[in-house]
Amino acid sequence: MLVYSLAPLVWILIASITPELRADSWSSGRTVQFFPSQPTFQNYIDLFANVPFGTYFINSTIVATGTMFVAVLTASLGAYGFVRFRFWGRRTLLFAMLMAYMVPSVVLLVPLLVIFRAYGLINTYPGLILAESTNTAPFVLLLMINYFSSLPRELEEQALVDGCSRLGALWRIVLPLAIPGLVAGGLFAFIAAWNNFLFAFLFAATDATRTLPVIMRLFALGEPAVWGISAAGAVVTTLPVALVFFLFQKMLISGLAAGAVKG
Amino acid sequence: MTDVIGSPRREFAARLRRVDPLPYFFILPIALLLAAVSFYPTLYAIWLGMTDATLLRLARAKFIGIDNVLRAFADPVFLNGLWRTLRWDIVVVGAEVAIALPIALFLNRNFFGRGFVRAAIVVPYIIPPAVTALVFVYIVDGNFGILNEILLRLGLINHYVPWLSEPTSSFFVTAGAMIWAGTPLMVIIILAALQTIPSEIYEAALVDGASSWQQFRFITWPHLLPTITFLILLRMIWMSNHIDIIYIVTRGGPGFANYTEAVYSFMLTSQFQIGYASAVAVILAIVLMAASAFYVRHLARSVLS
Repeated sequence: MLVYSLAPLVWILIASITPELRADSWSSGRTVQFFPSQPTFQNYIDLFANVPFGTYFINSTIVATGTMFVAVLTASLGAYGFVRFRFWGRRTLLFAMLMAYMVPSVVLLVPLLVIFRAYGLINTYPGLILAESTNTAPFVLLLMINYFSSLPRELEEQALVDGCSRLGALWRIVLPLAIPGLVAGGLFAFIAAWNNFLFAFLFAATDATRTLPVIMRLFALGEPAVWGISAAGAVVTTLPVALVFFLFQKMLISGLAAGAVKG
Repeated sequence: MTDVIGSPRREFAARLRRVDPLPYFFILPIALLLAAVSFYPTLYAIWLGMTDATLLRLARAKFIGIDNVLRAFADPVFLNGLWRTLRWDIVVVGAEVAIALPIALFLNRNFFGRGFVRAAIVVPYIIPPAVTALVFVYIVDGNFGILNEILLRLGLINHYVPWLSEPTSSFFVTAGAMIWAGTPLMVIIILAALQTIPSEIYEAALVDGASSWQQFRFITWPHLLPTITFLILLRMIWMSNHIDIIYIVTRGGPGFANYTEAVYSFMLTSQFQIGYASAVAVILAIVLMAASAFYVRHLARSVLS
């Protein structure tokens, strides 16, 4: 089972340190080795030298971080509103927002493409961040609603009795308590945005703004003729997300179980 | 005689004055965001689906009503796409559940290193799908794919096979990649459901002399059934939307072999036929959202109570 899970990953790791694996069709007679006779890190160096990989990495980071902030900010405020207040239209609005989550990305591709072009948002960071928010914001909303529901009202009520304003109570009492939830939500948003391919592919197509998953596709098409470089790229692309995951495992796994639907 | 207490107009005005605007301020940011990038574009997509717009001649798009829909139902790629989407859904979700169930049952027991194994199981899900696609392309490559090497050494094939060039095998490679990446999510959710079953029930059953199989059949399975049913429904909906891995691994497959509806709409978009692409996408969306509306209503209710 572990083999099943980890095997492809181990292979790509090995591939990334294999020297000079050319995608030549006439060498089909050659056998593939399980482990290279001369492992090397040269592929990693070539990766950053031949392909503007560093730029892509930075782009991914900017977009993922931006999406994280937008999603967490809007979703946590919204979640607080939904959980702590009863107001006209509460159920309907929530239903509408969750339906927004269910809208297939396919449907949004075309209109967003047209709209972004009209507003000059193509190939810009804000544009991509906005697009990614369609997926991430509702999910974080759900997560935060779950989370806020589990926080006891008594503390806020106490603060209100003591003369605090609603906003003051939010800032001083709720916020510190909510930090674990916010962090979890933020991480999910970050991972989702980092991994996203579809929107990045359509809305950030220039070298200056391209993100990592898009490059993965080019590599899959056999772009650099040396597969070792592609493999190195795959490893570097995965590292940040893998790191985040390993550091925050417990939080992420329980968050997945609680609210993950779309993935 | 004019203003009787309780006259409707007066009551309404009074109620309006009592409405607290504060919650709406909290909702405002996310409402605006989703209105701008979800609601409005969806409406726009429906509109576009009824025009003959192309990306290059957008300004001269003509309203053509349901012509796109009629075109779709006469379009062999679209019609086959329905079957291909269904096939993709069933194969992928079926395999994911079939593999996830035993794993979840296994992880439900306490054993040394459980946390580590659980984390390792989840890894495929966290990896960017684009990377997964790349890795699988690499593994099944016709010239230096490790799969070919292994099969050769096991004596199952005589020479390297270009797996991605054949419609059937390319489908299975793509499905394999998706299953590999998607199973962990199923494991986690099934595991969470398993852990809500109190262990006393199992102990009682053991006292009554129930075998493992009987325990599974009469305790575990009925308890899991609702969760698994929901899971299958949702996962199939999500799989119908999926484009990333299919596109990167096969770009639609040799010919149209891997064109699910979502992929078809995407390909149409990249060919600039955005009116028709929108129509296909909206048709897909209507079907899927009708199916998911039940779940969303249930979710909204349970979350707000």
